[in-house]
Amino acid sequence: MIGIVVVSHSPALARAAVDLALEMVGETPPSIAIAAGAGEGIIGTDAVKVAHAIDEVASGDGVLVFMDLGSAVLSGTMATEFMSTSDEVRLTDAPFVEGLIAAVVLANAGASLDEVDREARAAMGAKQSQLSDRDEVAPAASDTQAADAATVDSNAAAPAAITAEETIVSSDGLHTRPAAAIVQALAGVDATVTITDLTTGGGPVSGISMIGIMSLGAKKGDVVAFSATGAAAQDAIDTLVEMTRDGFGELES
Amino acid sequence: MSTSTISLDQLIAWLARFRELVTEKQSYLTELDSAIGDADHGSNMVRGMNAVVEKVGAAPATAADELLKSVGMTLVTSVGGAAGPLYGTLFLRMGVSAGPVTELDGAAFGAALRAGLDGVVARGKAEADDKTMFDAINPALDAWDAAVADGGDIAAAASAALAAAEKGRDATEPLVARKGRASYLGERSAGHLDPGATSSALLFQALADTVAG
Repeated sequence: MIGIVVVSHSPALARAAVDLALEMVGETPPSIAIAAGAGEGIIGTDAVKVAHAIDEVASGDGVLVFMDLGSAVLSGTMATEFMSTSDEVRLTDAPFVEGLIAAVVLANAGASLDEVDREARAAMGAKQSQLSDRDEVAPAASDTQAADAATVDSNAAAPAAITAEETIVSSDGLHTRPAAAIVQALAGVDATVTITDLTTGGGPVSGISMIGIMSLGAKKGDVVAFSATGAAAQDAIDTLVEMTRDGFGELES
Repeated sequence: MSTSTISLDQLIAWLARFRELVTEKQSYLTELDSAIGDADHGSNMVRGMNAVVEKVGAAPATAADELLKSVGMTLVTSVGGAAGPLYGTLFLRMGVSAGPVTELDGAAFGAALRAGLDGVVARGKAEADDKTMFDAINPALDAWDAAVADGGDIAAAASAALAAAEKGRDATEPLVARKGRASYLGERSAGHLDPGATSSALLFQALADTVAG
């Protein structure tokens, strides 16, 4: 599993961002280290601290580094000269909060450094499509996904795909937590899953892209189509159908 | 007294003098930084140079590379702001260029500073007229090199470098910042001296004060 490093001027900001991201994953989160502040109570960043954080989480699969701004970026680049690991280290220009959340979820699902970085960098997509007019969502979402290889290979769903259509019953639709839950549920399952919002025409997006799923903006009452290929396709579909009917654990009683 | 080399003791004295100058100018540097940045350059530089002087005093270096690298690492870990990695890189690369010697002639010292500045440029991606420390250091090094090439002694080279650094610093005032926090202000960054160029000019003032005959 990849390691994640969070560089911030403020230890409190880094801690809170990490805590928020960890809300989305289960009991065994990916390896995350914080490098924030410069010495006792000083707001700032320290390249040596960043290098230590990188070394701490490196385990052979690469390390993705999130930075807030300014000197955090300079310290991040400088840290790559001080670290001892030979792991690939990627400084990502992903948005700090959205990207971190997306990365933690996908990293926890065992995705590669490339996949996690791509997902994190696309993380503004969900917010952008949420804030644009709903009619414009569908193309925006597909654009995001077109750029996202974790998403969909247009041929993959073609032969022998198992499909199911379900109506979203949870009041908040496919927002952050359900999207994270879907990615978690599909982690390690031998199936390639896509999700389409048949009501809005949004998608298809990859079932292991939290940001992709969120970018559908699927609301309560929307009909979504799940499509899966691969050895465990039926299991994947069964799981998704059950989760959807269960309102992703968010049904109001 | 006319000399053509800078000794290890002079390098240490240079750092101590730089600490004095940033301490004297702390509120001025912070005032400049509050106009176009985040108002921490004065306190960051003072904290960094206090740590440097303490470190150098605690473990006296026996060679220029050892001294300058230790200065660089101390700045990286103690400054906090962007000046940490930038000044840190300047001294680290100076150390690598200087090598394990106990004195540097004018050409070697100029080459070391140039290597340091190249490191800063690689780190911060700054170019001339971006309104950064580069705008003070680059002309200072050109003036240093020219003075040394003309056969000037260290004091003359340092004096020429200081004049060029101050001129470069003053020339940052009308510029629109293209790097760092100040660049967020766009056109509004014009009309203020760059804090980084100002502290860099102090580095050359410290040098001139230290080697003055």
